[in-house]
Amino acid sequence: MSRFGVEGSLRAWDRFDAILALTALALVGYGLVLIYSGSLGSYDGPTASLENPVVRQGLFALIAIGAMFIISRFDYHVLLHYAWWLYGASILLLLVLIPIGQTDFGSTRWFALGPIQFQPSEFAKIATIVLLARFLSEQGGDARDLRVLGGSLAITAPVLLLVFIQPDLGTTIIFAAIWLGMVVVAGIQRRHMLFFGAVFLAVLPFLWTFTVADYQIERISVLFDAEEDPLDAGYNPIQSQIAVGSGQLLGKGLTNGEQTQLDFLKVKTKDFIFSVLGEELGFVGAMALFALFILLLMRGIRAAQIAGDIPGQLIAAGIVITILMQAYINIAVNLSIFPVTGLPLPFVSQGGSSLLTLFLGLGIIQSIVMRHRAYRQF
Amino acid sequence: MSVIGDRRVDPGLSRNRPHGNVGVLRIAVVVLFLVLGGRLVQMQLVDGAEYAERSELNRIIVESVPPTRGLIFDRNGQPLVQNSGSFTALITPGFLPEEPGSRYRLYLYLEDLLGIPALQIEEAVTAAEERGQRDLPLPIARALDRETALMLEQVAADLPGVTLSVEPRRVYPGGPEFSHILGYVGPQSPDEWRVLQEDGYAYNEVVGKVGVEARYESALRGNPGTSITEVDAQGDLITTIERTDPEGGRGILLSIDSDLQRYVYELLINTMGEATTAAAVVMSPVTGEIYAIVSVPTYDNNIFSLPDPAEEYKALLNDPRIPLLHQALSPIAPGSTFKIITAAAALQEGNVTRYTRRDVDSSVLEFIGEDGQPYYFYDWRVHGDIDLVEAISWSSNIYFYMASCGIPQEGIAGLGSNTEQSAIVLGYYARSFGLGQVTGLDIASTESPGVIPSPEWKRRVRSGPLFNPEDRDWYLADTCFMGIGQGDVTATPLQIAVATAAIANGGYLLEPYVTRQILGPDGTLLSTTEPSRERVPVDEEHLAVIRQGMRQSVIDGAARLAALPDTLVAGKTGTAEFIDPEDGETKDRAWFTGFAPYNNPQVVVTVFYDLGVGGTKAAPTAADIMGYFLEHVEP
Repeated sequence: MSRFGVEGSLRAWDRFDAILALTALALVGYGLVLIYSGSLGSYDGPTASLENPVVRQGLFALIAIGAMFIISRFDYHVLLHYAWWLYGASILLLLVLIPIGQTDFGSTRWFALGPIQFQPSEFAKIATIVLLARFLSEQGGDARDLRVLGGSLAITAPVLLLVFIQPDLGTTIIFAAIWLGMVVVAGIQRRHMLFFGAVFLAVLPFLWTFTVADYQIERISVLFDAEEDPLDAGYNPIQSQIAVGSGQLLGKGLTNGEQTQLDFLKVKTKDFIFSVLGEELGFVGAMALFALFILLLMRGIRAAQIAGDIPGQLIAAGIVITILMQAYINIAVNLSIFPVTGLPLPFVSQGGSSLLTLFLGLGIIQSIVMRHRAYRQF
Repeated sequence: MSVIGDRRVDPGLSRNRPHGNVGVLRIAVVVLFLVLGGRLVQMQLVDGAEYAERSELNRIIVESVPPTRGLIFDRNGQPLVQNSGSFTALITPGFLPEEPGSRYRLYLYLEDLLGIPALQIEEAVTAAEERGQRDLPLPIARALDRETALMLEQVAADLPGVTLSVEPRRVYPGGPEFSHILGYVGPQSPDEWRVLQEDGYAYNEVVGKVGVEARYESALRGNPGTSITEVDAQGDLITTIERTDPEGGRGILLSIDSDLQRYVYELLINTMGEATTAAAVVMSPVTGEIYAIVSVPTYDNNIFSLPDPAEEYKALLNDPRIPLLHQALSPIAPGSTFKIITAAAALQEGNVTRYTRRDVDSSVLEFIGEDGQPYYFYDWRVHGDIDLVEAISWSSNIYFYMASCGIPQEGIAGLGSNTEQSAIVLGYYARSFGLGQVTGLDIASTESPGVIPSPEWKRRVRSGPLFNPEDRDWYLADTCFMGIGQGDVTATPLQIAVATAAIANGGYLLEPYVTRQILGPDGTLLSTTEPSRERVPVDEEHLAVIRQGMRQSVIDGAARLAALPDTLVAGKTGTAEFIDPEDGETKDRAWFTGFAPYNNPQVVVTVFYDLGVGGTKAAPTAADIMGYFLEHVEP
């Protein structure tokens, strides 16, 4: 039993992926700098204050890192064991959200727990990843069987629909990507892929008409959900384009971006933080961010590669996909190649609960990395 | 960790070394970041300069600061126009509360304040939103009174999306009798905008449309200032980068005496009788300045600064009397007032002298026409044996036929060697006295030149399928009728006044004007109108004869009713015949033109009614005007 004990994990500390953790910290640090610049206009209190968004974000980061270390000490099989319970709980939370959640501009996404906002969909991401990993591995880690594929879809569909009706287009896409990515890793057959691709393309026009033909407000809240876009559906995309484009090669210099500092950009410490980066630090600054993300994601993929068992591999893959898609969609919104949807930039955007969830994810990856030899020798 | 114990999940016994498609993830990472990177290259490196420019435009606002429009005063400094505000309540739908309940409460509040039903506001806002104009201020109530506007301004800060706009508006306190002089301002037409935008006009800036407002547009407007400011996303000022103050419009001091103008207007209205239109010109024979110029009927130029003048404007356009037309600038047959010009021509040409006599023993004179047939030309009475002074005094038609076209069957020559030449010579003198061309009065209006016919003119105008070839020929009668101001001759009351002034002042044709001085925004005198005059080609001794005839007319002639007790008045009546197109009857138009005092002319008065007899209708009105002028107006 020693391999499940504390000694086992202690021995595993030298396998802790320091590069992964440091890359994540670098992203958080990058974010702090941008939050500082983005909040100059709205915050003018003392530097050392809990009201200061930079200080708050720093504190949340410390808590989140602590959580990562704690999680990494636990064997991820605990999660697998309780996978159905976690999944059931997230479905329940998403259902409860419908009558009592907080509604912002027509979208109901979170609970207020005192000062903390709790987004059930964040929790549901991890629960779904874990359950999919367990389900697929129980079926031999093999998605070639159509029955297995169908089962995995049946697991994903309820959460996906519950998020879709909030409505939260961005997170819906992330759930779809999680499912797709995990079944691909699990070895979906090419003809099944083609089949699902065809079904998706066939359904798309119906989805489009359904969302567009309805009353305008609904269209805006579903397709371009208006949470971060109260002025007019075209305002933020235009302003973020101008911000990013005008940054050019080297940027206007930190705290010198007119779009940022004169408040043309909205939610600039959160959803539009990339535009701040683009304007003030330019193409070079953006490439530095991309490099950090690619490094982080590659380390996550490495974890999936070396994972000791199939569920470990699938969980790592699911978390990598979540971070990848969230970063991609957020930046794509900032670059106006995706409709405005309220997704934060992972590790960079201001927001405690997002940070906590992300570092929990990293903790799970660390747990997988630290135990990969133990399970391989099984 | 013993809690896991035996219940731990089986980690997939079938393969203890997973080898799934992890490589796909690497490809996905690379591809997605390549997409983002490519887009960044396009936005920041390829189009970066363009976005940088847009970022500048985003925050740098260059605005034109409109100047205050100049004021217009009468010759005594009485203001004839005021600048006032036009208040409009605006709603910007995009800034209204999202929640329908609080929106409707806001509408209800506005209903209380403005008296516009909440449902109507809601409808307008919804319609604007459906048009996609969420960010465009929508006017919901115009022309608010000052009190309501102030109340709205106070509460607007607490009503999101509600604003008050103040736009400059011109108010003309003088009354409709000044409308034809002042004109009005209005929004620019697309054609005007094309020209005016080069002078820095804002597209919503008003511009003078007619009258002094239009003629002196550039002086009245002043020069706009500019303000270059840096603003934030809310449009709030960050810093003023540069500001030049606007230069207010110039003031204009008219030569018009507003009391006289009002007096003449009321006098015409009260003496119109059956006439439908009337006009009067009171001008200085010394400088050419206009003391009063009245056209009846008139219109209220204040309606053009109402938010929606369509109804009133339509009514004006449909009025058969055409109130928008300036009667004093509209040509019509001048009748016998034209005889003073015929007399001047004949005296200068020498075919008639002061002492040339004609025994008008019958009111009918038989002419033998070009076709050998007799034609009968009438005088209005049997004058007896008269000379030129008496002919002017009594306005003898036959005498003036003799003076213009001559009496061929008696061997009496006219102004020229033949009928056509006579007409050409008379036309030359008529033009020398300012007829047949615009006077150049500094009111932007529809001033018409009128017609001084000539054989060439007749051939040109009477051509085309509507006319017979013989209609184009010039006959003896054409010259004769021209000599008494009938036939095809037309002149405006202003032209007749200018011609009278030239006779009164010893031969100087004046350019009439209503603007005496231009003042700086602070009231300092910038410029004074210099009278412009031109010598008419008639010797002073001849003009003295005409003045004598006009004086005689008032003493003991056709213009007796123009006499004043304390002043020597000289004048000439005119009764122009016309055939009323409605009933086919021959009717008269009443004219009088004269000056006073006889020995030192200070004022010329010309009066016209479209129905009436000159001696009994126009002459007494002119006398009243002269009396009022000499008593009340400081020349």
